[in-house]
Amino acid sequence: MSDLLFFFEVTLAGLGSGALLSLTALAFVLIYKATRVINLAVGEMLMLGGYLFFAFAAGFGLPAWAAIPLAIAGGGLVGAVVERGLIRPMLGESPIAVFMVTIGLGSILVGLVELIWGTDPRALPAFMGNTPIFIGEAYVSRKIAIAFAVAAVVIAVFLVLFRYWRGGVALRATATDQAAAYSCGINVPGVFSLAWVIGCGTAAGAGVLLGSIGGISPAMGVFGLSALVVVIVGGLDSVAGALVGGLVIGLIEAWAGTYLGGEFKLVTTFGLLLVALMIRPYGLFGTTEIERL
Amino acid sequence: MLSFTRRTLLALSASAAIATALPAAAADDIVIGGSIPLTGVFAFAGVGIEAGMQDYIKIVNEAGGLQGRKLRLAYEDTGYKVDASVAAFNKLTSQNTIHLYYGDSTGFAKTINGELDRMGTTIMAGASFATELNDPKAFQYQFMAGPDYSEMTGILLEYIAKEKPGARIVLVNSDTEFGRDPIAATKARASELGLEVVEEIITPPTAVDVSTEVLKLRRARPDYTIFHGYVLAPLPEFMTQAKQLGLETKFMGTFWSMDASIWSKVGEAADGFMGVMPYRYYYDEADNAPMLDRIREMRPEYQSTPYMQGFLTAMLFTEAAKRTLEAGQELNAPNLKAALNSIENFDTGGIIGVPISIPGNSIPVGRIYRYDASAQQMLPASDWISVQE
Repeated sequence: MSDLLFFFEVTLAGLGSGALLSLTALAFVLIYKATRVINLAVGEMLMLGGYLFFAFAAGFGLPAWAAIPLAIAGGGLVGAVVERGLIRPMLGESPIAVFMVTIGLGSILVGLVELIWGTDPRALPAFMGNTPIFIGEAYVSRKIAIAFAVAAVVIAVFLVLFRYWRGGVALRATATDQAAAYSCGINVPGVFSLAWVIGCGTAAGAGVLLGSIGGISPAMGVFGLSALVVVIVGGLDSVAGALVGGLVIGLIEAWAGTYLGGEFKLVTTFGLLLVALMIRPYGLFGTTEIERL
Repeated sequence: MLSFTRRTLLALSASAAIATALPAAAADDIVIGGSIPLTGVFAFAGVGIEAGMQDYIKIVNEAGGLQGRKLRLAYEDTGYKVDASVAAFNKLTSQNTIHLYYGDSTGFAKTINGELDRMGTTIMAGASFATELNDPKAFQYQFMAGPDYSEMTGILLEYIAKEKPGARIVLVNSDTEFGRDPIAATKARASELGLEVVEEIITPPTAVDVSTEVLKLRRARPDYTIFHGYVLAPLPEFMTQAKQLGLETKFMGTFWSMDASIWSKVGEAADGFMGVMPYRYYYDEADNAPMLDRIREMRPEYQSTPYMQGFLTAMLFTEAAKRTLEAGQELNAPNLKAALNSIENFDTGGIIGVPISIPGNSIPVGRIYRYDASAQQMLPASDWISVQE
């Protein structure tokens, strides 16, 4: 096998896993963009999504086409409950306090999942098929290709929605200036709820994809941390930043892992984070606004 | 006048309920302490370990205990964090007289070793099979209820060398202390046995997607791929993708990824996965395995491999204490460890298929099992292999 073909395959694999990162990063961005809350429980929401799919598909025996929307809706519902129950009462509190609430929320979600489904790692019912995909002669893992397609579609939809849909415009308006948005008659609390519902639903969907690749376990939420790097590099409030950041980090990790060795993957990722923070602390595509906590 | 609010009454009745629910502890109980991970990344193991230890203790107590003294397990959840394990150790050893202790990680075993040496009262075993701990000089009051990680891969290599002399091997290890543990020893042993390690793949601890690693595997074209440093993920994905690519390699793992119930949830992709097991499985059919029969009698449903580990550890603790008491000696670390090391050709009641000896800190025997997806069970693929020198 030629080295060039190998490089091409590694690149494709990197783009695929980068797409997964992008999708998870999107959950951070959607919530931060509207509410200025960094939701550290995104990783755990993702885990919950995986488990909800597991419950619907394996527990109730539903087909994947029903179980996936139900898992995403379930994630959204939890997002709504969390926003109304935990986050809205914190309005006006310091950002660090809200940040801490989301850390606590993450622990609670892990505890709940351990109570309900136990602590064993599990595999999700297969729903993506097994036939390998070849682009020319280059092999791409089927799951990774599907994850890439899903992430691309979802991110494109969000980009369009933010530009043209009334709800999306309301969300952008709220993000830009809450008081002005209020005075224009925008239902700001409604926008907050919407952002949490969509953000947590997205995380749950990413959890289904991730779980179908690597299986699910109560500890799978650590994946959220990798996505946090993506949003910091891409910009906390930029959907395009999540996309580009995810793909860049996916690519760099794949190349570093292949040509330097697996132990260099994280070093390279966090090295990139440091460089990004030094050069553009608000991210590649983020709004130029620096908040010190 | 004494007056109670409703809240006080509730609190009082709750505490009374808790107090009556606790089993009465006698002063001369032999207490086994434990830092056990019931939550966190290693919780699946902790839950089984605790159940296995409790069951063996129950068996001993129902038979009258040790010289009339009951055994008791006093443990705390650690979340698999070293600081929590140390805190649990300090708390439990200050509340009870503890001569036997179960620790949950390599990190904890190394951290607490100085304290064990200083106290001289307690011996410890645990969930770690780290090669480093298998050193009776540096870790004089510790042991492990099975082979260390290097001995585990050594057992795998013995099997490979017999099945396919000169085989090509790829090592896949997680980038953790646990994962890296046996790499050097495995390479050395492989070359002694005439096997060729053609590639080493290291995966970051949080790796989920392994497509790039599978590409490396395809380039290396190994006959066998040995995983170490994982429980389940990302092994199934490795195996699925390798099958998609038509790779003929056989996949192998070590003890912590050998639980049958975890693999049974993976389905067809798990078929053919092999690995080294120091203990028999819950459902193994074997003559002269009264302990397996007893376990199946106590618990009609499948019990995990960590359960077996906890069960055997409690058995060895008990045997060390029994031998010390029978010799009329005081229960302290030097006597208990000497008693443990006096174990020779010991019958574990069938938990391990051959009689065991513990001359040092480990029990270097194991057997290769292969997962059969249609039977949803791990089935023996070799006889018991000893790498005792």
